[in-house]
Formats: sequence, structure tokens, C-alpha cells
Amino acid sequence: MSDDDQGAVQIEVESDIAAARRVVREVATSIGFGVTETARIVTAASELGRNVYKYASKGTMHWRTLRNGEISGVELRFEDHGPGIADLDEAFQEGHSTGGGLGMGLPGAKRLMDEMEIRTSNGEGTTVTVRKWRQH
Amino acid sequence: MTKEATGVAQAQTGKADKIRVDNDFDMLRTLVDNIREYAIIMLDPKGHVTTWSPTAERLKGYRAEEIVGKHFSTFYTREDVASGKTDRELETAVRDGRFEDEGWRVRKDGTKFWATVVITALRDAQGSLKGFGKITRDLSDRKEAEERIKKQAQEILEMATVPVVQVWEGVILVPLIGMLDSARTQQLMERLLQRLTETNSPVALIDITGVPAIDTQTAQHLIETIKAVRYIGSEVVLTGVRPSIAQTLVHLGIDLSSATTRSSLTAGLRVAFEMINLHVASHDNAQVAAAGR
Amino acid sequence: MSDDISVLRVRDVLLVTMPADPDDATVSALQTRTLDAMEQHDVKGLILDLSRVEILDSYFARTVAETAKMVTLMGGETFIAGMRPSVAITATELGVTLGATRTVLNVNAALDAVPRLSQKKRAGR
Repeated sequence: MSDDDQGAVQIEVESDIAAARRVVREVATSIGFGVTETARIVTAASELGRNVYKYASKGTMHWRTLRNGEISGVELRFEDHGPGIADLDEAFQEGHSTGGGLGMGLPGAKRLMDEMEIRTSNGEGTTVTVRKWRQH
Repeated sequence: MTKEATGVAQAQTGKADKIRVDNDFDMLRTLVDNIREYAIIMLDPKGHVTTWSPTAERLKGYRAEEIVGKHFSTFYTREDVASGKTDRELETAVRDGRFEDEGWRVRKDGTKFWATVVITALRDAQGSLKGFGKITRDLSDRKEAEERIKKQAQEILEMATVPVVQVWEGVILVPLIGMLDSARTQQLMERLLQRLTETNSPVALIDITGVPAIDTQTAQHLIETIKAVRYIGSEVVLTGVRPSIAQTLVHLGIDLSSATTRSSLTAGLRVAFEMINLHVASHDNAQVAAAGR
Repeated sequence: MSDDISVLRVRDVLLVTMPADPDDATVSALQTRTLDAMEQHDVKGLILDLSRVEILDSYFARTVAETAKMVTLMGGETFIAGMRPSVAITATELGVTLGATRTVLNVNAALDAVPRLSQKKRAGR
């Protein structure tokens, strides 16, 4: 797999969440992540993909492989043009949810990945980027 | 030169004390050819091989007639040649009188060996460059031994970080030593859960006798581990809960009620045996059922 | 996709096996099919076999916890069997809870536990 391998999955219907998971699983495995690390990445993708579907009804998951010297990794970027997150601090509180879930989407995904960045503005949508590096 | 090298090689097959020594040069030659660990050869000022030796032949696989006259870059990897390493080595030897290096070299059959190399510039009385002496020592064995030791150390380190031992059919023991950070907890969970499912063990004994003190973070990691063990269908028995640790846990408000806890490993083992319906008791008590929870 | 769920009656219990990576529709079907089968057959409980499952996200976990609660209301007990280490670790870190369920190493261990369950309930008969 070369450095700049990348792709995208549209999230428009509920079953696209599972489709995104399958792609992420394939990418993570091809980079050489172990079973547990792969489960972490796929689960985080599922949570973030569901957030896109639930709050913005549609969006895109972009993925790409990363290389930093000897270390390889994966980056997932979830983009939507939904209402945005009004209160980020609140969104990261355990148990918080406005979508009828358990509210562990954002904080849960953050715990499962190594890095997370969020850009959101009211009414213009949200971009959540997560990364995981392969430990040696 | 080729003829001479072959001649010496033949002479060398006789016993050492029978080798006839005509003059100082021959004496040196004999010495060079009889040193087993070091391949000593000479190069002309441009780096072409001018003398060869039996040890060099053993080490690199070329016979004298094959290699004399060839450039010494033949012994280097393609990458080293491409990067101009051989030229730099000679330049350094000319400038400083001597060049030393340790790295991969290539045999005639293409296999690599790990070697130390010393290149010395040879000058005549007037100081003009006559060529180079090149001494190569095969360190493959040492390199291999180093790699082996490194790998063993890594395994020992991993084992020491999270030792996971099956103490009985159905009981896995983890004697924890030191504090738990998140990287170590991940290792602990992965290895413990893997072992529990592999061996179909219903009980995980985690002994914290070797944990000097419990802080909130370590306790949190323990709770996480207990939870994960639960999910795969096993139970944690936490042992080695000394008075000071019990006090800390209560004062920090940490709730470990999701696990069975005992002060000693012995008491914990007894609980573990009860959980797997193994009765370790005198005949009088044997009919007491196991479900003591 | 819901065909991927297998629902079997084994002795006194319902054995429900989930596929490796169920989509949301399949996860919802788990609840309806389990409850329907609970009503149809007079069983003591539910064994949910997760040994094939490779991912348990919050939606899946919540559905399992809810279903277990409903099964309890209908008079049964829920066993979760065979969760993989990678799934258990991830679920723990994600922070899910499985509510009123008992976990066992595999389906065999669950089947062993069920007779004890029914003996307790039928004691004195």
C-alpha cells in the first residue's frame, strides 16, 4: 500500500454506516493493524459515521493511509453539512446526546483513536478527523 | 601477483612449521595468510584488488584469479556503491591515514555478512600513495548473537510487563508488578483476554501484591480490565489487597465491588477453585457446594 | 440481511447467533425476532451467541441491553456467549454497558448454566 492511498464512502442511508465499517476494516488490516487495534478503528468509524447519519442525515467519510518515517497509520475524516455542534464541551460529556443515542459517539471515538480534531460551525456542518498510528 | 597468491595458498596447506620463509616479506605474507579471522588484502591507489589471501577467499568466496584486478566495490551492497560509499572510504583513508567501518558486505554468491573493515593508506618513504591495506573481519556470528539477545530481552521485557500464567485448568494468574499506565493496561487486557479464551478459563486471578501503591489511574485501569474480562464471560479475583491498598481504595472512593477481592493470593486461589467447582477441602467439608458467592 | 441472524430453540432456551458485522437493520431485527420467538416458544431464557461478531458499537450494545431488559420482563434470563477479546476490549474503552445480562465464555457454558436456572425455577415439582 503506497503512502497516498485514499478513498471516500458516502453516508446517505443507514446501511452506509456498515459499508463504511467494511472499508475501514479493509484499510486497517492492509496497513497491518492487529485484531484489537482494527476493532478500535472500525468501532470509532461506526460511531462517527452514525453521528453523520443521525445529525446531518448525510455526509462523507474520507480515508487515507499515513506514513511518518517508520510509523504508518490511518486517517478518517467525516464531513457533513448538517446543523453543526452548538456546544462542543457538552458533546464531549459522557452521556450527552441529542440524537437519542447513549451519547458516547464523540468521547468514545476519541478514546479509541490516537488523535481527534473537530471543526464545526453553527449551520454549516461538522468535520471530525481521527487518526490512529500503528504501534511497534 | 596472481601467481604468487596462488603459490602461497598452496604452501599454506602444509603444516605451519614446514613453511619455508625466505625473507621478511614472505614472513609477513605467511602471517597474513594464516590469520583465520581477518581477511587481509591490498588495493592499488584506485581501489583495485592487488593481493588476495586464503582467509579472504574463505570469507568472500572469490578465488585469487577471479578477483585480483577487480575494484573493491564488488564487496559492497548496491546501495552503498550507488551512494558513493567506496570512494568516500578511500578519500578518508588518504586524508586521515585510516578508515574504519562496520556494516554489511556481499559475498560472491550474493549473500551478505556483517563485517568490520579497516582501510589503511600505504605510502612509500617519499610519502606518495602506493595503495591501501584492507582488513575485513566477519562479525556475522556476533551480529546474530546480538540480535538473539535483543529479541530475548524484548520477550523477557514483555513477559515482565504483563506475565500471564495458567496456574490450573480454568484459572489464569497475572502477578502485576509496578503501576498501570494505559499502554500497559492495553497489553494486559489483550494478553489476559486472549489467554482466557484460548484456555476457556472462567477465572482470572490478578495479584497486585507487587503494585507499590494504587492511584486513581491504576484503579481505573483495573476496573476497565475487570469489565473487559466480564464481557468475554470470565470473572476476576483480585488478590494482594493489603491494608494500605484497601485504605487508599476506600479513601479515593473507588468501587471494586464488580470483582471478588481477597488480601492474599492463597485466599484468592481458594475462591478461584470454588468458582470452577474444584473442591480443595478435607473430606468433612467436601460436600459443601461450590457456589459460595 | 436479517437472514444472517439465526434463531434456534435448544432445549429450554433460545439460541440467537449474530453475524460478524451486522448493519443497523440486522441489529433491529435481533430485538423483534428474539421477542417474537420468546412469545412463541415457552423458553427459560436467551443465549445470544456473539462469537462471530467483530464489532460491537454503541447502537448494537444498546439494542442488546434493551432486548435483555425486555426478555427479563417476559420472564427469561439473557446470556451473552463467546464475545471475542478484541470486541470486549473495544466495548470497554468505548464505554458501553450490557445491562441485565450474564456473560459466559461460550454457548456450551451457557447451556450448562440453563438447567441450574430451570431447576431453581421448578424447585419442588
